[in-house]
Amino acid sequence: MSKILLVIKREYIQMVRTKGFIIGTVLGPVFMIALIVIPIIVSSVSVEKQETIGVVDLTNEIFMELDKKLDHKDYRLKDGSRRYLLEKFEPSAGIEELRRELRERVLKKKLSAYIYIPEDVLEIGARESAVRESEPEEEKVEYVSDHTTDFEKLRALNGALNNVVIEKRLKREGLDPQKVAQYIKRVGLQPIKITKKGEEKDSGGTFMISYILALIIYMAILIYGQVIMRGVIEEKSSRVVEVVLSSLKPFQLMMGKILGIGAVGLTQFSIWTLFGIGASVYGTSFIPAGANFAMPSIPAHVFVYFVIFFILGYFLFGTLYAAIGSLVNSEKEAQQLVMPVTMFLIIPIMLMIFIIRAPNSSLAVFLSFIPFFSPILMFLRITVLIPPFGQIGASIVILILTILLMIWLTAKIYRIGILMYGKRPKLTEIVRWIRYS
Amino acid sequence: MNALEIEGISKKFGDFNAVKKLSFEIPAGTIYGLLGPNGAGKTTTIRMVMNIIIPDEGSIKVLNRRMDEEMKERVGYLPEDRGLYPKMKVGELLLFLAEIKGLKGSDARKEIDFWLERFDLSDWKSKKVEELSRGMQQKLQFIVTVIHQPELIILDEPFSGLDPVNTKLFKDIMLEMKKKGRTIVFSTHRMEQVEMICDNICLINKAERVLEGNLSQIKKQYGKNTVILDYDGEADFIKDFPEIEKIDDYGKFMEIKLKETSSPQDLLPKLVGKISINKYEVKEPTLNAIFIEKVGGKEVKDE
Repeated sequence: MSKILLVIKREYIQMVRTKGFIIGTVLGPVFMIALIVIPIIVSSVSVEKQETIGVVDLTNEIFMELDKKLDHKDYRLKDGSRRYLLEKFEPSAGIEELRRELRERVLKKKLSAYIYIPEDVLEIGARESAVRESEPEEEKVEYVSDHTTDFEKLRALNGALNNVVIEKRLKREGLDPQKVAQYIKRVGLQPIKITKKGEEKDSGGTFMISYILALIIYMAILIYGQVIMRGVIEEKSSRVVEVVLSSLKPFQLMMGKILGIGAVGLTQFSIWTLFGIGASVYGTSFIPAGANFAMPSIPAHVFVYFVIFFILGYFLFGTLYAAIGSLVNSEKEAQQLVMPVTMFLIIPIMLMIFIIRAPNSSLAVFLSFIPFFSPILMFLRITVLIPPFGQIGASIVILILTILLMIWLTAKIYRIGILMYGKRPKLTEIVRWIRYS
Repeated sequence: MNALEIEGISKKFGDFNAVKKLSFEIPAGTIYGLLGPNGAGKTTTIRMVMNIIIPDEGSIKVLNRRMDEEMKERVGYLPEDRGLYPKMKVGELLLFLAEIKGLKGSDARKEIDFWLERFDLSDWKSKKVEELSRGMQQKLQFIVTVIHQPELIILDEPFSGLDPVNTKLFKDIMLEMKKKGRTIVFSTHRMEQVEMICDNICLINKAERVLEGNLSQIKKQYGKNTVILDYDGEADFIKDFPEIEKIDDYGKFMEIKLKETSSPQDLLPKLVGKISINKYEVKEPTLNAIFIEKVGGKEVKDE
């Protein structure tokens, strides 16, 4: 046992000291924060400026109303001046001529765009309402510009225009737009999650946390699994392994490596967790007000299961990565063998949406028992709703039994593979090693 | 007492016999040479002794016990493929490898300082292994093998790739170890080293033992009818003499094996006057000659 400890100590100290670990530990959270904060900052930084939009209004009714709408404070810039100035154009010389002229103006940047409102936009065509009630054909008001990717602007203009058109139509029918607006006011479904502790409103946070935590387990297993594999390959290719094995058992070396690197992973997570707690306590003040971002909180039981499933998943895949490392001579060679293992990690990630949507379906329950999936899928189910404890316990037991089986199997492969150089063994040979060693 | 007893061990890799029914014993406190051409089965034998490869049959006793994990602490092993952790610092590497041999931290540190001093590597203690030259890494590897004061030291091709200075250093330390009562086994295909330091040898060829025993006795068996001739001139004619069984001609130096019926005294007069003789010595055959004869006359090349 103490020899395993020595191996763990070596792996741990050697790895914690590497630049990769230090940079990864520091930059990990910085990167995560940047990913969240930068878009918030960017979106709150105003790049908007006043612009003039030409309007060709063939109905002769909309321009005035639209101009009034866009004068409203919702459409104004921060300094209070108007965001959109409208300029009316009359097709006195014919529509085609006017279009050509407006085109010129847009290209010369005198106008940022022009809107072309056809004559029949206010008509309620008998044709359309009869054809498809659920999806009435949209009137084609044209928005012509040299760039049409500012969806924020398009949405604003579209909204204002729609309001004007709808109000006009209602008035034509003798209806009071304000009353109608009240009639068609929408109701929303408020998701309320029931747990044994009571009820809580859910504004999508559960979904996000489940998703992120499951992704963290996935990433961690993938990254640290590769670290194990690389370590085994390095020991093999530097030929130090025979020296080490003249002092201890292959099993001790393999387990020491897996445990040591796992300890590094836990260290990294602990640092990040502390960092996260610090950030949630002090960090909220850095986020610009009105950014519509709340620090999600992670329930204690979810955190406990996160640690459990991370550790178990890490062991299960760690043994596989160690065995693969022992079978190959170079990292390049390893890539082919790693594919199936990576697939076991990717499949549950692809199933995540399904599990989040139907966490209690029999397929979800079944999948979350499969040991190669359960570190991600059972954990995911726990975050979405708490499955019966029997199910959680069963999946953990299955996982632990599988891990023991895998350790037993991979130790045999490792024991022989680690001292084999040259040609990669065939699957039949590996099976023979397992049977006869 | 025997430090190592090997009895009838065999190992097959697929259809290939790597070692076949091999037996030998090594008395404690001696230096033992495991000889054989490349691919004869020396490394496989050593790996079986180290319990890295399990023999198909036969038994191995190390220091009168079966080789197990505990025994590994009493044995020092230098593998044929040298290797160290390149990213580790010299001092840390030695500490780790000494500790997994069962040495306590404080004892290990003392030994590390002693050996680094002895091999003139003290200045490199806090340097990374990969910064060391090849020769220095070889020294380091040797320290790793002996740092835990093993009773049995197993060296697989210890002299390959060494310069003459390190060769002498290693040889001196091996003899020192012998004086302290340690047992040393080493494999090689370089005969001159074996002749200098080995008490006993075992010659393996094609997985099987062809010769085993005390070195001086073996040489005596091969008789007193070998002549070492140091000469100048054209000596090709000697080949045609009826007394000759075999000649190894090096141009200015010749190892002549005579037929059992002839005497070196009869040969000398026939040479006088035809070539200029600097030295005419009657002696036991060199191990190299025995080796070549036993392995089938094929030239053995140094690596």
